[in-house]
Amino acid sequence: MLDRIDQTRAEAGSDAAGLLSAESLEQFRVKYLARKGAIAELFEGLKAVPAGERPLVGKALNALRNDVQSLYDNARATLEAGRGEAAAVDVTLPGRGRYIGSTHLVTRTLEEFQRIFVSMGFNIVTGPEIESEYYNFEALNFPPDHPARDMQDTFFITKNVLLRTHTTPVQVRIMERQQPPVRAIMPGRVYRNEAVSPRALVQFHQVDGIYVDKGVTFAELKGTLVSFARQYYGSSIKYRFRASYFPFTEPSAEMDITCYLCGGKGCRVCKHTGWLEIVGSGMVHPKILQRVGYDTEKVTGYAFGFGVERTVLLRHDINDIRLLYENDVRFLRQF
Amino acid sequence: MKISYAWLKELTAVNWSPERFTEDLTMVGLEVESHQDLAQAFDGFVVGVVREREKHPNADRLSVCKVDVGRGDTLQIVCGAPNVAEGQKVAVALVGATVPHNQHDPEGKPFVLTRAKVRGVESHGMICSSSELGLGKDAEGILVLDRSARVGQSLAKHLRRTDVVFDVGITPNRPDCLSHVGVAREVAMLAGTRIKVPSAKVCEVSPPASTLAKVIVRDSDLCPRYSGRVITGVTVGPSPQWLQDRLSVVGVRPINVIVDVTNYVMLELGHPLHAFDLDTLNDRKIVVRRAGTDAEFTTLDGKVRRLDKDMLMICDGRGPVALAGIMGGANSEISGSTTRILLESAYFLPSSVRRTARALGMSTEASYRFERGMDPEGTVNALNRAAGLIAELTGARVQGGVIDVYPKKLRPPAIPVRVLHTNKVLGTDLGAADMARFLRKIGAQVKKRTQKRLTVVPPTYRVDLTSEIDMIEEVARVFGYNNIETRTKAGIDFSTTQGKDSVVNELRASLTGAGFQEILSISLQQEQLGALEGKPAIRVLNPVSTEMQVLRTGMIPGALEAVRFNHRHGNTDLRLFEIGTVFNLKAAGDIESLDGYIEEVRLVLAFTGKRLPVAFDRKPQEGDLFDVKGEIEALLRGLCLDKYRFISYDARNTLTEPTVAVEINGTYAGRFGKVKKEVTDKFDIEGAVYVCELSAGVLESAWVRERKYRALPRFPSVKRDLAFTVDRFIRQEDVASAVRTSAGPLLESLMLFDMYEGSQAGSGRKSLAYALTFRAEDHTLTDQEVDALIRNVVDHTRSACNAELRA
Ligand SMILES: [Zn+2]
Repeated sequence: MLDRIDQTRAEAGSDAAGLLSAESLEQFRVKYLARKGAIAELFEGLKAVPAGERPLVGKALNALRNDVQSLYDNARATLEAGRGEAAAVDVTLPGRGRYIGSTHLVTRTLEEFQRIFVSMGFNIVTGPEIESEYYNFEALNFPPDHPARDMQDTFFITKNVLLRTHTTPVQVRIMERQQPPVRAIMPGRVYRNEAVSPRALVQFHQVDGIYVDKGVTFAELKGTLVSFARQYYGSSIKYRFRASYFPFTEPSAEMDITCYLCGGKGCRVCKHTGWLEIVGSGMVHPKILQRVGYDTEKVTGYAFGFGVERTVLLRHDINDIRLLYENDVRFLRQF
Repeated sequence: MKISYAWLKELTAVNWSPERFTEDLTMVGLEVESHQDLAQAFDGFVVGVVREREKHPNADRLSVCKVDVGRGDTLQIVCGAPNVAEGQKVAVALVGATVPHNQHDPEGKPFVLTRAKVRGVESHGMICSSSELGLGKDAEGILVLDRSARVGQSLAKHLRRTDVVFDVGITPNRPDCLSHVGVAREVAMLAGTRIKVPSAKVCEVSPPASTLAKVIVRDSDLCPRYSGRVITGVTVGPSPQWLQDRLSVVGVRPINVIVDVTNYVMLELGHPLHAFDLDTLNDRKIVVRRAGTDAEFTTLDGKVRRLDKDMLMICDGRGPVALAGIMGGANSEISGSTTRILLESAYFLPSSVRRTARALGMSTEASYRFERGMDPEGTVNALNRAAGLIAELTGARVQGGVIDVYPKKLRPPAIPVRVLHTNKVLGTDLGAADMARFLRKIGAQVKKRTQKRLTVVPPTYRVDLTSEIDMIEEVARVFGYNNIETRTKAGIDFSTTQGKDSVVNELRASLTGAGFQEILSISLQQEQLGALEGKPAIRVLNPVSTEMQVLRTGMIPGALEAVRFNHRHGNTDLRLFEIGTVFNLKAAGDIESLDGYIEEVRLVLAFTGKRLPVAFDRKPQEGDLFDVKGEIEALLRGLCLDKYRFISYDARNTLTEPTVAVEINGTYAGRFGKVKKEVTDKFDIEGAVYVCELSAGVLESAWVRERKYRALPRFPSVKRDLAFTVDRFIRQEDVASAVRTSAGPLLESLMLFDMYEGSQAGSGRKSLAYALTFRAEDHTLTDQEVDALIRNVVDHTRSACNAELRA
């Protein structure tokens, strides 16, 4: 037994000379000092030593353990102080930096929306931001002199030309060009003539979507939006659909998901309702399909529209929409 | 719209909690945006009685009171009000209560009351003024309560502030829900009960109304129905407390009993009413007609309104007395001396009311309702309800009969609803009987029913229901959106999907990889910013502010704004990019149509500050034009290989100097350069700013997406360095091009690796050092071959550029 102890000491001594890296140091520790290492094994063998010799062997074993431990400690101290082989390089010096860029939060969210909807078979289509009164309102079933127009405060350029208040006009533009099936999303910038506040800015982004084909139903609309929400917010979300009103869809619905900040108990962000409104939607109004010459006996369609900034603010817990357009790099670099 | 919980419960006899109302109404489209428990504001406030009052031992103006709040021992409270006296019933805030208004705080912020020592005397509460309670402006003295107040009762109860108020968002299609009865109908539909319709009984006296007043409707296209009643023997005084409370709870200020009743009936039934002082009406006559030649009218708020000839007016025998459906006139208003009134309850054409209200910039409770559409069959009921209440509350007499001008009855449509089509839209499997049952729940009559089709007549107050799709939505609403399946079709056809990437994504990936931070600016700018590039900007007719008046014509001003903002916050090392749409007028385009405008997507880059971030052994160096050029070259090379060219550009009409134009495949793609000092000065930016603006469209069409493999070289290359001195005004490009032409096709690459001017290069000269790499495709080049080429290069460059080879 004592021989084995000496042998182990000698071996550890020569191993310790080669401890020049963190990896070899760890190997050393595992080999000798770990719970199943060589020294632990020797202690295990102590039981087999005759009782009379046990104090002497025990003492020798303890000495061995102390010696090996100090070999380890010294090697480690040397390495950490940079006094090993690599002593010439002070690795604690900082790396030379380079500039780091990132995409804007709004862009990133738009890209994520697009990725999910493209994977579900939607095309991406865009349209003009300067839009005619006809496409922005009339073709979407907002009659002149109807209070529904109060829902969207508008910037006018001339009497008949305006800054689009939603990306929904692109729906009409696609359908005018193309026969069903139509399956597309329409991301883009929109404008509202509202006083600037933490919750409202004159511009924001929307992602509208439309699907017109044979056999498109409200159930299908629910399926698509739930599938989106599961991909974007996580597969465990709870959701509900409730009645709403948009001139260009009927039946119209809002989809809510359980507030992910409070889990539905109610908090400041969800205005104590436990729910967050994420998307407005509905079945494309037959008048709109008829206006573009579709046969409403044959095809039906659904449409939806997300507000991108709203999604961004909620998801990142940002309390002022203006931060998104101040272009402060201290803000932008956080994402 | 504010809806009272107590009132709603009274109308429905449905005893749900406020939370249940909130949830269920929201689900059927009446979004309850909040509900507020009025009593909560008075938590910890009770009625007390002042038992003793003594002077404060250490302060003349203060009193020490013993106040009984019905809890055994009296409370000792120090009070500063001059009017506090023994025996008074007062409002007491207990320790821990939140006092709504702090009189000593400049902003009047609420505070939590604690036990305090005031000039050495303990105070265990506070006797409140009405200002402190948030009830009124009176801050001078405490609020003295009625003698009958019960000591120990909660203040909320005593003040009858025990209701809950819902804020319900009513969408424009549901004017029938702009009242308590309207919301109650939805509750009854949900709960499967019936609403309790308020009594509209009237006791009539003679002579009949028609002998006292006359109504003539000239323009019945704009006023399909006009109903009126005459009420006499009226005393105009304040309303009874219950009526005042009802109005106050939902935020309507009580005025006098007549106005209050008309408001009350509007809040209850939805229909707006108007009361005229009958004795102020010339000829005691009402004429409903377009304004015609009447040019001005003074509304009861004292404002003079300019009339348009097509605005519908209520007139008397001489001229206008009200803007139909919007506001009455000062000339016929109810006053303290009014004894006889003509009560109006009409149905006006929604679009006419809306046009007039918008043209005059007015929106009233009445116009809001009329422009959304009232129930044409509801005029008489509202009239009777109001007349009955006025008679009951003031002892007035209702003259016999309703004056009702309704030449052509408006009938709701009979709408065919196909069972199969309904299921086709909703994705449901409902039967005709289910649908009929659902539609009856919203008050519709099912006139005919087969297995395939129903014929449905909506109730007259549902003016939004005119076609089959409207009825389908009602079926879905009653069935419950969440009872409709959630499914997606199996086997979506992906063949039409164009997952084609746009160049914009490519640009973003490339630039963020190169360390550029993406920014997004607002497309609307102030005029001076828009004018920077000297192009006429597109103006918005109705801007929110001068900061956002015109659309951007280029991307550079927005980027400079971002630079300014960040410099001001101490961040001067910037590499920014933005991809956005710019807007320009088309030369000779028609601005009344979209043909007059051009939208174009552009990329802008902006650089300021150091070439590389500070490091421990790196000398900080300011970036310059050639850092920018290098970035642009890397970007362009990645997109469109070597198909680009830089051209020196006239800087007179640009924001930059020098300015370099970028041409791709022979098309102008944009430009870059150093922003002129006069421009950076305008932005208060110190130091150099470099910008580049490129057209995304040109980049998109120049983008080489499909690339073919080219075989890698099989034979080694030979490298040689050459250094020339040339006159310092000779351009590098001229020297390089001389080298290239003379070296021939075996020259694989040419790189300038050193350049300097100075004494070593000789006076007036500069040194250019190039690395040349030669390679042949079919054999290993020999030294002799390369030597011959080099001799040729040296000779040719000497003669072409007067270049001397350096040793
Ligand atoms: Zn929440």
